[in-house]
Amino acid sequence: MRKVKKERQKLSSILRNNWLMLRKIAAYTPEYFALMIVEGVVWGCINSVSAWFIYTLLNAVQDGGDFLYAASIIAVMAAFYLVAYVFDKWYWNIKNPLMRQKLHLRMHEELFAKARSLDLSCFDDPAFYNDFVWAMNQSDSRAIEVIEDTGKLINRLIASASLFTLLLTVDPVIALVLFLSSCVTVVCNLVGNRISFRHDRERNPLRRKRDYINRVYHLADYAKELRTGRADELLTREYDENNERLVQTDVKYGRRYFLLYGLGWNGLGNVTLFALLLYMITQLANGRIAVGGFAATVQVIWDIRWTLNNLIERITKYAKHSLYIEKYREFMSYEPRVKGEKHEIPPFERLELRNVSFAYTFDHPEYRFREDQDDKPADRQPPQEALRNVSLTIHAGEKVAIVGYNGAGKTTLIKLIMRFYDPTEGEILYNGVNIREYAPEAYRRQIGTVFQDFKIFAATVAENVMNGEYRQENEATVREALRAADFTEKLEQLEQGLGTHLTREFNDKGTNLSGGESQKVAIARVFAGRYPIVIMDEPSSALDPMAEYHLNQSILRNTEEKTVIFISHRLSTTRIADTIYLFDGGRLVEQGSHEALLEKDGKYAEMFRLQSEKYRQGEA
Amino acid sequence: MRRKQKPTEKKKKKIPFRRRVVNNLFALRCIWEAAPLHLIIYVGSGVVYGILNFLSGSYLLRRIVDGVEAGEPISSILRYVCILGVVTLVIETALQWYWRVISPVLNCRILAYIEKKLFRQAARVELACYEDPEFYNRYVKAMDEAYNRIRKVMYTLDDLISGLVTLSANSLLLFLIDPWLMLFGLFPLVLGVFRRLENIAKHDMETEKKPVNRRKTYVRRTFYLGEYAKEMRIGGMYGRMLRDLRESFSDYRRIIKKYGLRQAVYGYLQKIGLEVVTILGATLYAVWSAMVVGSANGGMSVGDCLVVLSSISSISYELNRLVQYFAEFGEHALFLEDVRFFLDYIPAIQDGPETAPKEGGELELRNVTFRYHGSERDAIRNVSFTLHPGERVALVGSNGSGKSTLVKLLLRLYDPTEGEIRLRGTDIRAYTLDSYRGDFSTVFQDFKLFSMTVKENVLLRPTCEGDDELVAQALKESGAYERVSRMEHGMDSILTREFDDHGENLSVGEQQKMLLARVFAERRPFVLLDEPSSALDPIAEYRMFGNMMRATAGRSVIFISHRLSSAVLADRVLLMENGELAECGTHAELMAKNGKYATMFRRQAENYLGSEVSEDA
Repeated sequence: MRKVKKERQKLSSILRNNWLMLRKIAAYTPEYFALMIVEGVVWGCINSVSAWFIYTLLNAVQDGGDFLYAASIIAVMAAFYLVAYVFDKWYWNIKNPLMRQKLHLRMHEELFAKARSLDLSCFDDPAFYNDFVWAMNQSDSRAIEVIEDTGKLINRLIASASLFTLLLTVDPVIALVLFLSSCVTVVCNLVGNRISFRHDRERNPLRRKRDYINRVYHLADYAKELRTGRADELLTREYDENNERLVQTDVKYGRRYFLLYGLGWNGLGNVTLFALLLYMITQLANGRIAVGGFAATVQVIWDIRWTLNNLIERITKYAKHSLYIEKYREFMSYEPRVKGEKHEIPPFERLELRNVSFAYTFDHPEYRFREDQDDKPADRQPPQEALRNVSLTIHAGEKVAIVGYNGAGKTTLIKLIMRFYDPTEGEILYNGVNIREYAPEAYRRQIGTVFQDFKIFAATVAENVMNGEYRQENEATVREALRAADFTEKLEQLEQGLGTHLTREFNDKGTNLSGGESQKVAIARVFAGRYPIVIMDEPSSALDPMAEYHLNQSILRNTEEKTVIFISHRLSTTRIADTIYLFDGGRLVEQGSHEALLEKDGKYAEMFRLQSEKYRQGEA
Repeated sequence: MRRKQKPTEKKKKKIPFRRRVVNNLFALRCIWEAAPLHLIIYVGSGVVYGILNFLSGSYLLRRIVDGVEAGEPISSILRYVCILGVVTLVIETALQWYWRVISPVLNCRILAYIEKKLFRQAARVELACYEDPEFYNRYVKAMDEAYNRIRKVMYTLDDLISGLVTLSANSLLLFLIDPWLMLFGLFPLVLGVFRRLENIAKHDMETEKKPVNRRKTYVRRTFYLGEYAKEMRIGGMYGRMLRDLRESFSDYRRIIKKYGLRQAVYGYLQKIGLEVVTILGATLYAVWSAMVVGSANGGMSVGDCLVVLSSISSISYELNRLVQYFAEFGEHALFLEDVRFFLDYIPAIQDGPETAPKEGGELELRNVTFRYHGSERDAIRNVSFTLHPGERVALVGSNGSGKSTLVKLLLRLYDPTEGEIRLRGTDIRAYTLDSYRGDFSTVFQDFKLFSMTVKENVLLRPTCEGDDELVAQALKESGAYERVSRMEHGMDSILTREFDDHGENLSVGEQQKMLLARVFAERRPFVLLDEPSSALDPIAEYRMFGNMMRATAGRSVIFISHRLSSAVLADRVLLMENGELAECGTHAELMAKNGKYATMFRRQAENYLGSEVSEDA
């Protein structure tokens, strides 16, 4: 977990959050909810019945009554166990795991749908992203904890009520003393939680650092650096210093825990226990309580201490649950900004950007998780505009190149065209209609993109090419696309051809492709998709010169009628474009054909000369 | 690749008994070496708690009830209870102090001891270990589990000892009351059969769940990792992943149904055997003895009855758990197997006896052949060439031609399968690793910055007085200075946000410049650059190469680049193809030769030079 919230929560929000979660579970799996209550009751009985049993039985023995009566008490007890454990084992081994899975699935489906609708900007904000990752990974198990804890809470409540009743029957004084000492325990625990809350807060950054160092040693990414420099020494030193600080924190809080638990909770508990024992011995000697009552009370004193501690632990856990449920709720209630109504997209004619400006920022008004960031100093740089006042028009069938240095805004432009983000100012028009009016999914289906950081999915080659929607009748399309992307040679080496599973994520027989091969598959995606608009974000970055050459030829051949947008900082790739747009610092500075731009002898010409200079020297 | 032990993937394997003992002893030894006091107190407290539990449990009850029944003066009973109370209080308070204040510190020490041991080994094992998924898996497991497992061994030992004390004291008491009761006490041993069957079912279930689990976590990742986000928002991968998820859940349900009933039945039999047969059986016997036989005829007293009730459950629980303790030790041993495998692994790449010459010298590859572990073809085949002092060599070739592998071999991250590499005529295996690698400044293709200060990242060693100037100069030369000076703490700013929320995040290009500064700061005789300019834009690349050539004057440089334009700057060009050295010579020579290099160069140049006409150079 990223970090614990600094403020303590209000009781009302703890109750509300947990209640909402329980209601959600009840709605998803009502059966689970009902059986959880039954289970709580059954175990409440099992946990308290043995004290009652001892009480009744020993009294019967001491009274010297009928053996058959005593035997029947034992028989009743045996019958109870026989039945209760049938339920218990059936529930825990079969029913409960099944219901858990059902709940997992339901929650996942909902979470995934939500995750997919998130705006891409959510991924840029580390605070939101951390909570989001948490919600995806943990909220289902948290939900299960809430319900299981509630079951146990019922169980402990029933057990303690039953045990206190027994004590009242035996001797009200004992019940009263135990009740008072339990109250002290509660206070101790509450104070203890407060302390451990602070302890965790102090310890967390130190732990994070330790985890980091740990990671450096076990991730392959760092292996080479560790072996070639003296980073090892640095890290060990950091580790030692960090550990020393951890030790100091632990000692500081250890003393407080000792005062609280060692002296307060444990010491007081023991004193009460022995005082009660002395009291009971006098009562026993005076004949005021019977042996059964005495033995049962001793048993109850032990049981009740355990039960109550457990009860308190459960209750304090709800506060923790609440923190996480809050995150879950916030995540689920996030409303995506990027949305639209129209699902019918007319055939592509032109795309127009009008005075578009865009700045990456986390400060969306919808962004709800800001509160816990207030402690961050205001050193965060003001959002810089990634694009400033850009206007351009792309017509159907046009080949366009977007060029510029790193950070010129090229990739941002693509993200805006794909509508992963909406412009801060200005508008983007598709056939003259603002793209905000279209449903993002439908709109995005018009554009095939090879991202700079494309991903291969753990699925078959064919599914990767068809974006998961592969059917037998598409085989020819897929083969053709792979051929166009120059992947055929590799495909022939694969034993299962199109059905070969890619990556070894969960299939040990899967094939791992090299960077260049993966890129070819990603490119094949675009060819197979028959998109009217194709975007290539640095399509040749993982390819060697030969492959790049082949690929460029291939792209040209296969996209004849399509609109193509190339992005590159290698100008050799972009010469072929009809129009070249040169970006610098988020602005569109030059535009025109290669020849026109060279003629103009501006920035483009300068950049082109720089890149070609050494080739020319070499050729000479 | 040499491999000492071939780890088997199957988790089901049994470790021989001897190994189990040795592994657990290994854990105890670790604790003993890191904090001997901890081990002593743990074991000691096990004994003390065992005795205390007995004295204030069954024995106390019997003493009181029998005492009262026999009309013993109440003061003597009270005195016994008081003494017991005071002793308990003192011991518990002392132990509480220990648990709360001293123990966390010792735990920290043990953790540090174990982790540093692992770190040391991690930095020693050869790179090939990371590429062997089996080795790597065990290694990661070892890193994750070591500390907790080692501590758990101590906990189990503690439980075992206090259990044994409780068990023997209670058994003795029962035996004194009525030897027949021992029959009930020993009955739980029979139940061990069911426990074993239940465990087998559980284990089989977990094994079958594992692949399903992997699939599910993968699907989940595709939904939350930013790198998949764009693709998940276009096309139909979303539906495909959702289908995978549903399938994995129905697999889960099938597995649960398959094993659940077996587990339930065996679990039920154990519970009933324990609660009904043993405890209630013994109770019935005791009640019968007290009521029907009567204490006058040698039967039990009420006090005895009470002892039976509380002792028999202690005994049966402890016996039942005893089996569990041994199972726990077995489990610990299994996990520690990974830890020990890793720690005992003898790295294939070992130090030599000599110190490498600090000033470098001639570096020669002689018929070097290398094959990655598990691969079917040579990554490098019979490569020979000599790098002269002060020479700049460009290493070019298509993807997978062995360029990066060659760099790794030069750094001795791997040893050649055949042939040898010599520095000043001596096989590099004769040098110590640190001194040999210390002759190189390297920028890898897949470099990583550490979450430390800029200064430390550039120097990669503890900083000292006067480093500021050195680092500043190096940063200026690599072109990163301007960015660093914009940071709040300048060269003392922490990079990345790994554990510092205010750390500086750099773009890939900026990171690369930062790393190049290393080369400028270190002034080591050899410089290896694996695609140093891949993330740089043309202008930055141009400047970088210019600076590099100036700053590395007099040093031997090998650089890899896809952009052949930079090869022009080199004294010599090596063209690799399928692991072999295909062409070698100056740019001019190779162009004149009109071979593969020339073809490649022209291809790349074509696009630029095609427009020559309209330009005035």
